[in-house]
Amino acid sequence: MKLHRFLVISAATGFALSACGGDIPPPKQLVDAQNEYARAKGGVAMQLDPTDVHEADLALQKAQAAWNSSQDPNDDHAIDLAIIAQRKAQIAEAEAAASKAQADAAQSKADYNAAIQSQLAATKGALSQTQQSLSQTQSQLQQTSQLNAEQKKQLADLTAQLHDARDTIAKIAAVKDTDQGMVITLQGEVLFKTGKWDLKPAAMAKLDQIADALRGKEAPMVVYGYTDNVGTYDNNITLSQKRAQSVRDYLVSKGIPNDLITAQGKGPDNPVADNTSTDGRAQNRRVEIVVSPKKS
Amino acid sequence: MRIVPLASLACVASFVLACGGSIPPPNDEWAAAQADVGRAEAGGAPNVPDAKLHLQLAQEDLSKSKALIDQDNRRAADLIAVARVEAQLALSIAKQQIAEAEAQKAAADLAKAKGGQ
Repeated sequence: MKLHRFLVISAATGFALSACGGDIPPPKQLVDAQNEYARAKGGVAMQLDPTDVHEADLALQKAQAAWNSSQDPNDDHAIDLAIIAQRKAQIAEAEAAASKAQADAAQSKADYNAAIQSQLAATKGALSQTQQSLSQTQSQLQQTSQLNAEQKKQLADLTAQLHDARDTIAKIAAVKDTDQGMVITLQGEVLFKTGKWDLKPAAMAKLDQIADALRGKEAPMVVYGYTDNVGTYDNNITLSQKRAQSVRDYLVSKGIPNDLITAQGKGPDNPVADNTSTDGRAQNRRVEIVVSPKKS
Repeated sequence: MRIVPLASLACVASFVLACGGSIPPPNDEWAAAQADVGRAEAGGAPNVPDAKLHLQLAQEDLSKSKALIDQDNRRAADLIAVARVEAQLALSIAKQQIAEAEAQKAAADLAKAKGGQ
């Protein structure tokens, strides 16, 4: 009976010590496990990996029960259970962090793909516009090239026609080629009486031939009137202007387009010979018709 | 007279428990722990310093437990259980570090792409 009483008392005392936890502090491993579990439960692990948090909870309960039972700081079993509980809490946290990082990476990749697609679309749009612009430029270039070819052909035709006209005109007047174009020179005595600007009949005959040769050539012309230096400068300018105008008007009356021909009096300017001699003054009294192959 | 058989039974039970005689050799658990270590190694734990530390702890516990099997099966089982969570933690840390590195790279790529716009 005594032994039975002793065993019962001993068991009751042990249970009471276990229940109260006594004064023996828990091992560091168990404290660490409790802290780690609290971190996991209070962090993202609870939202992202609740299953592992729950497993850590169960492991912690098991470790605490083992400690409460043994109250022995050197109990390897209780310490191992505490380590297991801590590791499970750490696993929950690491798995949650991995899930969050994977979600972040997926989002960044999706945003990256969207940005690249946007850039690609913009580049394609710009390329399309460039191609369209290039196509228009090529079309314009082709049109310009065709126009140039047509203009060159017209110019060549006009030059050839003027060349033919030149040969005809050369039979009735002095003709020379200058930078300004073809210059037809008619002596004043042939065209006008002294001090007059009415055309002589012989002059009209020559101008008829010149008009026939130049008609339809579409070449711009300027009729310049010149005098010798006898008399006042102003009178000579006026006389030369009237004579140039007479020739110009006659040529227009013979079919030279009105808008292609002008007249200008130069008086004694630009002499071609010495005014001190009779022959020289006769050469200076003249009308020049300058025919340019270029269209104005 | 009824107390003596009860005390004897308690002593025998205590002896049996102390010797670990009721705990079978944890060979299956050891194989499972070995598989956990293999998974951690394949998951990149040897290349991640924090994960590598826990992998080494798992390997050490596995080695110790191997020597204890059939000598102290209870202690061996405890060590194997610790080895398993160490290996599992090594794998989780490796996953975390690899995922975070990938997330950083993706974020950097995104910033670069947006900067190029």
